[in-house]
Amino acid sequence: MNEFDQSSSSGAIVPCWSCKGPISPRALFCSTCGAVQPPGDVDHFTRLGLRRAYSLDPAELDRQYFGFQRRLHPDRFATRAPKERALSQAQATALNDAYETLKDPLKRAAYLLRLAGRVVDVDQAATVTDPELLMEAMEMREALAEADTPDEVAVLAAQAEGEMAQCETDLARAFAEQDLDVAGKLTTRMKYLGKLAEEARSRKIRMTRPGI
Amino acid sequence: MSYSEKVIDHYEHPRNVGSFQKSDGGVGTGLVGAPACGDVMKLQIKVSAEGIIEDAKFKTFGCGSAIASSSLVTEWVKGKTLDEAAKIKNTEIAQHLALPPVKIHCSVLAEDAIKAAIADYKKKNGLEEDAAQ
Repeated sequence: MNEFDQSSSSGAIVPCWSCKGPISPRALFCSTCGAVQPPGDVDHFTRLGLRRAYSLDPAELDRQYFGFQRRLHPDRFATRAPKERALSQAQATALNDAYETLKDPLKRAAYLLRLAGRVVDVDQAATVTDPELLMEAMEMREALAEADTPDEVAVLAAQAEGEMAQCETDLARAFAEQDLDVAGKLTTRMKYLGKLAEEARSRKIRMTRPGI
Repeated sequence: MSYSEKVIDHYEHPRNVGSFQKSDGGVGTGLVGAPACGDVMKLQIKVSAEGIIEDAKFKTFGCGSAIASSSLVTEWVKGKTLDEAAKIKNTEIAQHLALPPVKIHCSVLAEDAIKAAIADYKKKNGLEEDAAQ
């Protein structure tokens, strides 16, 4: 699958819930009786067998996710005992949660900050006062409010999306250098850019389809 | 979730929308944001030589509750002294507008905005930050 075996870095051995045979706490299935195990208490990267880093290859993420999902999908357990059905459901939910978080560049950044023990601005209903960030946000939103043709709005949306791509590149560098202060700022900025892009899209729809 | 009538009224007829010249010595500007929603709020006060807030303006990009909260605060602070304005609590704003629990942070943002505007005015005019919190 990849260089990270699900069981290699785990700690103590635990008994299988079904046959009591010894298994690694991260094993998906019991090696003795084959019963599906509850989802381990691991981070999203470990769950999907990925290296913990901001940069990731989306194709690899998809491959890993669909690989695990194929083995753990509740459809495969439809004829099994209720406990196994429930566990496969729990496994599938944990996989979905990991995938949804890691796939999104903003959620991935916020998650990595949380793993590092940081308080993340975008998580909570807190107030920020960073003047540079807020001036930029204010100016961009004003420009959007003043744009009165779909083309002007499209230019602003494209600009925001370009800035978001740049944020993603900068985040990869900041996390690689473990500069979490910078990563935190970039995450907040990305959130504001995302909001602008979203507003621009809905404004463009309203302009081109005035009946809605 | 439905908005209260007061929120809708402020949202549809926002009071005191606009800007003052930021560089004007008598103007204090508070710029704050709520990153969880991507909201940004600017609240400005124009202060007389006697220390009375003569006028206030705001510009908010955010949800209806954030717009209503900042609109309401600009109405409330007019005619108040800086110290009186600094005492406005988010709970009063939330109560007046009947904000639901998930929108309480919009009133917090408005409280933070007026405090930031007062702090900016005091800093500009070399007034000491009083300890009244």
